[in-house]
Amino acid sequence: MFNDIGLILPELVLFLGAMGLLMLGAFSSKDATRTVDFGAIILLLVAAVLSLTQSQNGYATAFNGAFVVDGFAALMKALTFVATAIAILMSRDFMAREKLARFEFSVLLVLAATGMGMMISANDLIALYMGIELQSLALYVVAAINRDSLRSTESGLKYFVLGALSSGLLLYGASLIYGFSGSIEFAEIAKAFQPVDGQLPIAMTIGLVFLIAGLAFKISAVPFHMWTPDVYEGAPTAVTAFFAAAPKLAGMAIFLRVMLTAFPDAIIAWQQIIIFVSFASMLLGAFAAIGQQNIKRLMAYSSIGHMGFALVGFAAGTQDGVSGVILYMTLYAIMTLGTFACILSMRREGGMVERIDNLAGLSQTRPFMAACLAIMMFSLAGIPPMAGFFGKLFVFRAAIDAGLYGLSILGVLSSVVGAYYYLRIVKIMYIDAPSEDDYQPMPRELSIMAGVMAGFALLFFVYPAPLIELSNGAAAALLNGAGTDVVTGLLSRP
Amino acid sequence: MTLTSLAFYLFASVSVASAFMVIAARNPVYSVLFLILTFFNSAGLFILMGAEFLALILVVVYVGAVAVLFLFVVMMLDIDFAELSEGFLQYLPIGATVGLILLLELLLVFGASSRLADSNPLPRATPEGMTNAEALGRVLYTDHIYYFQAAGAILLVAMIGAIVLTLVKSNNPRRQNIAEQNARTKEDGVALVDVKPGQGL
Amino acid sequence: MYHAIVFFPLVGAIIAGLFGRIIGHKRSEQLTSGLLVASAILSCVAFIDVAMNNNPATVNLLSWIHSGTLNIDWVLRIDTLTAVMLVVVNGVSSLVHIYSIGYMSHDPGRSRFFAYLSLFTFMMLMLVTADNFVQLFFGWEGVGLASYLLIGFWFKKPSANAAAMKAFVVNRVGDFGLILGMAAIYFTVGSLQFDEVFAAAGALSEGKFDFLGLTLPTLTTICLLLFMGAMGKSAQFMLHTWLPDAMEGPTPVSALIHAATMVTAGVFLVARCSPLFELSPTASAVVICVGAITAFFAATVGLVQNDIKRVIAYSTCSQLGYMFVALGVGAYQVAMFHLFTHAFFKALLFLGAGSVIHAMQDEQDMRKMGGLRQLVPTTWFMMLIGTLALTGFPLTAGFFSKDAVIEAAYAAHAGPHMFGFVLLVVAALFTSFYSWRLMFMTFYGQPRCSTETLNHVHESPPVMLVPLLVLALGALGAGLVFAGSFIGDGQAAFWGASIFTGPDNHVLHDLHNVPLWVKLSPLVMMMTGFIVAWVMYIRSPEWPAQIAAQHDLLYKFLLNKWYIDELYHLIFVRPVAWLARLFWKGGDGYVIDGFGPNGIAANVLRVTQRFVGLQTGFVYHYAFVMLVGVAGFVSWFMLAGGH
Repeated sequence: MFNDIGLILPELVLFLGAMGLLMLGAFSSKDATRTVDFGAIILLLVAAVLSLTQSQNGYATAFNGAFVVDGFAALMKALTFVATAIAILMSRDFMAREKLARFEFSVLLVLAATGMGMMISANDLIALYMGIELQSLALYVVAAINRDSLRSTESGLKYFVLGALSSGLLLYGASLIYGFSGSIEFAEIAKAFQPVDGQLPIAMTIGLVFLIAGLAFKISAVPFHMWTPDVYEGAPTAVTAFFAAAPKLAGMAIFLRVMLTAFPDAIIAWQQIIIFVSFASMLLGAFAAIGQQNIKRLMAYSSIGHMGFALVGFAAGTQDGVSGVILYMTLYAIMTLGTFACILSMRREGGMVERIDNLAGLSQTRPFMAACLAIMMFSLAGIPPMAGFFGKLFVFRAAIDAGLYGLSILGVLSSVVGAYYYLRIVKIMYIDAPSEDDYQPMPRELSIMAGVMAGFALLFFVYPAPLIELSNGAAAALLNGAGTDVVTGLLSRP
Repeated sequence: MTLTSLAFYLFASVSVASAFMVIAARNPVYSVLFLILTFFNSAGLFILMGAEFLALILVVVYVGAVAVLFLFVVMMLDIDFAELSEGFLQYLPIGATVGLILLLELLLVFGASSRLADSNPLPRATPEGMTNAEALGRVLYTDHIYYFQAAGAILLVAMIGAIVLTLVKSNNPRRQNIAEQNARTKEDGVALVDVKPGQGL
Repeated sequence: MYHAIVFFPLVGAIIAGLFGRIIGHKRSEQLTSGLLVASAILSCVAFIDVAMNNNPATVNLLSWIHSGTLNIDWVLRIDTLTAVMLVVVNGVSSLVHIYSIGYMSHDPGRSRFFAYLSLFTFMMLMLVTADNFVQLFFGWEGVGLASYLLIGFWFKKPSANAAAMKAFVVNRVGDFGLILGMAAIYFTVGSLQFDEVFAAAGALSEGKFDFLGLTLPTLTTICLLLFMGAMGKSAQFMLHTWLPDAMEGPTPVSALIHAATMVTAGVFLVARCSPLFELSPTASAVVICVGAITAFFAATVGLVQNDIKRVIAYSTCSQLGYMFVALGVGAYQVAMFHLFTHAFFKALLFLGAGSVIHAMQDEQDMRKMGGLRQLVPTTWFMMLIGTLALTGFPLTAGFFSKDAVIEAAYAAHAGPHMFGFVLLVVAALFTSFYSWRLMFMTFYGQPRCSTETLNHVHESPPVMLVPLLVLALGALGAGLVFAGSFIGDGQAAFWGASIFTGPDNHVLHDLHNVPLWVKLSPLVMMMTGFIVAWVMYIRSPEWPAQIAAQHDLLYKFLLNKWYIDELYHLIFVRPVAWLARLFWKGGDGYVIDGFGPNGIAANVLRVTQRFVGLQTGFVYHYAFVMLVGVAGFVSWFMLAGGH
């Protein structure tokens, strides 16, 4: 029992910390928002470090196999927690100016991070569902946190209703799988779900479809993406920034874990779905984004498209593929947060602006912001030598090695189409004439974030080895189930 | 055996039908009432499975608390539900088609499938020689503490969410302070002013 | 020294071209002209050293292309042939540079003009110093480019642009032949080095090769292909149409490129390839015929033209025909000699005409001139010298070279030499007529221009007249001074190994021993032409109009240049334009753009609209899409059975 607590330490720290912060905020006589924000960031960073150190334990399960800790979980959790921390940091100025600053926001984000950690470490269907719900419920609330704005509440409601539907689908799938395999544990399911005479049991395959539908909703993959544009646009921008990064990391992580540990032998079944979903996401992300005028909406489609690219590596189903997905998601999170750092700075005298046209001539009025955003756009478009290019390179290489030529070609083509709208933003910033009054200066933490992320995206190619190494280690840990210690392995590298 | 089966199909079909009526009824009050009916039938299903505790909890909590609360809310809100459900009915045919196809497929699949892992028998609802509540109590805080706590966390989030989204903090709440009221004297409250005619205050 | 000769113009071109705006027009002019004069003086030194003292040289600049069996180095080959061309090119070019300082003094794009001129000169030097066909081709295309740029120098004039394009395109036809010729040489000999190719000429003359099912004699094919290139560059009949139009360029350009240097590149090419042509009687016969027809044809057209520059342009065309006849009959030395003298007097005529045009405020129509002798006496005098030289007045340059061509045509034995002879003699008559017609219409009689123009007529500044003077000296004296070494007894020593003549080729010896009537015939023709011109344009100026009216058909035929442009338009331009339009509208526009970039781009928007249209904002739509997705996947596995 005590050992179990050691394994869930990061989540425990977050959960207890969140309750502490809640008490602090509720009983503090003054407005404690800034203190709570600060505390939340510290908590998340501590949890990230804790989960990284956990990878030294190798592969271990807790609570009768409900909870698993391995190198993969350690890395993904650390990334998720850090992404959440960055989102809180970036939100502070925005929330204060929009008069949305409430200590509950950070508390909810910490609780969401707890849920994400539980998701990533889930090792059976109930733990999976619990993690997903804890995360999702917090997200529904923060989407609607600007309760005086019709768009914000509407987006929260939509997210909630559709999220409930996806939970229903997931539960239905889970109950089918439980019913036919007789177990909720991933390892047991894997044993039960074997092809018979080269034929997978069809009933379980149907259960798998429902399960995938529920999981694909979380990473907003087509056709379970419909909530994304509306929620991204309606939610306050700081919330959107959070949505675009950490939950996607966690969602992809659990998607990988479920498919690869619970259904390793059903790859021929889920691979087909992933291929379709990946293809449809890339296509929709590329085409629909072109027609957007609102930059948050555009980022929603961009995020859908990027999920499609990440799924290309997933579809390969190999260790290289998984490693590519991890790398891709990491780079994607960094690029997205950097982009949102710029979007959060689109503030004029009268308030925030969100239209792409508003960026016209930014290179003259705010050259630093324009440069950061341009780097991000180039990187998101996947133009070498930016970081985004390497992400695409790895997933496509894995897909080609796995013989998925068609998907790779379609992926490259849609990335060409996608490049159009990224480059259009650069064009608007650098070529079009500035029209309206000046932007207000970038808040300090946002400019630091944007600069750091842009620098990373720009200079990643100089020394990409550590991140690639980490991804490979995590992928090996996930696939082999062995106690691959990714972090200390990396640190002790000669 | 036949009686159990009969009961099962009765509860199940009434449950499905009333669930459908929840969304199909034009009057929201009816919807809530159908919801209650659904809950009752589900409780019946639980009982058939030997899970009396769950069945009763379902009735007590969902019917007794949640659904009644719903009923109050629905009755107090002035919302034209007919208008809201118009869109639903408009798309009913195509939705029904898709649903029907899905249903047929599922029937086909499950009709033809048998359980895979016979070696891994489903656990019974209640172990031998133990009541429902006792069986739950034995595992809920021990083996399944993780799920239990996770559920607790979810409820916490739900509570915070509800407060965040609905609580309106007033800057100047007027609260009654009885001690202050009692301590008030005539001198505090009344002032006599000598007003000269034609001048006003 | 040779480096300096070749690279001075390039330096000038680069500086004037790239930094002209910075250093200003004045310095650009001075710099390029100065460098060209230096180059010209060095060229004279080189001429004495190489040709007179018989001291040919090769300068290895750098190794250029080494690929498989193809080895091409950048080598300057300086023998007598090259030395003659160096003098011609740099001499005329430097004079034209100086002249242009005056002529172009009002043009806002002077730096560019001088940069182009110098660039042209460099390319021409590349051509004449070539040691292999590739290097020659580089210069060949380079001068084509410079010519294009200079003809279209006034690029705001649509006619100039059209003319530039025409010159370029027509030259491409010739270049096509040249490339094929080079390819054939490389195919058969395996080298493009002049020495190696010429050494293999004997073997080639017996060889045959198959192409498209035809068995062709190797050497003749190669020679004809090379000659096709020469025809294009030297504006020979059929490919001559660009040259008159090229007069759209500034007059100094016409003098330099379209009279003295570039158009003689074809002559140079054939002379350079004398070891090949000497062994191919068939090719030589073709050269004679084409040359003779050109000489005759251009002269006839020249008779009736009214644009002063066009008359001289057709005259150039005609004189180039003379040179080709000389080449065809094996008198390469005579051809080069005529090229040499022609450079002087034709440049003189062009620059003189330029001076007239300058004086007349850019009026080129001779019908609006007349009576200018008293107004621009120096120019008149210079033009007179040029005309005398062109018509072959005794002891002028043309007298020696042109008469030598005619005599050589008579004295030769090979091929259709008598055909050439007859046409050349007739052409000499026409030459004399149109030259004097030009003189009379321009300088004599009553002024036919408006009085306002007349009041502004003025003599050109010295900077324009001095080059005329130098050229006039050449036009008068070049024949007398150099006849001995070019075509006389000293010719063998003079030319050395640069020109090859076969053992049976005695034409150079024989041309001195032709009958007296042959010797006198050009002179007689010249006199006749002069008298007819005098009668028609001085004594009874109403005659030309009457004759034109009586022979309307003939007049129109000549005026419209034998309708060759129209013929080309009908045969080539219209079908090609039709085909091009078909490919453009149908192939590119409809098929490729429609289904390619534009189609995709247009469809992207359509697809986008559709995708965006899915996003209705209604929750039940979204839910429905999700459920359809699930149903789709389930159906897929039901139907496909999980495979």
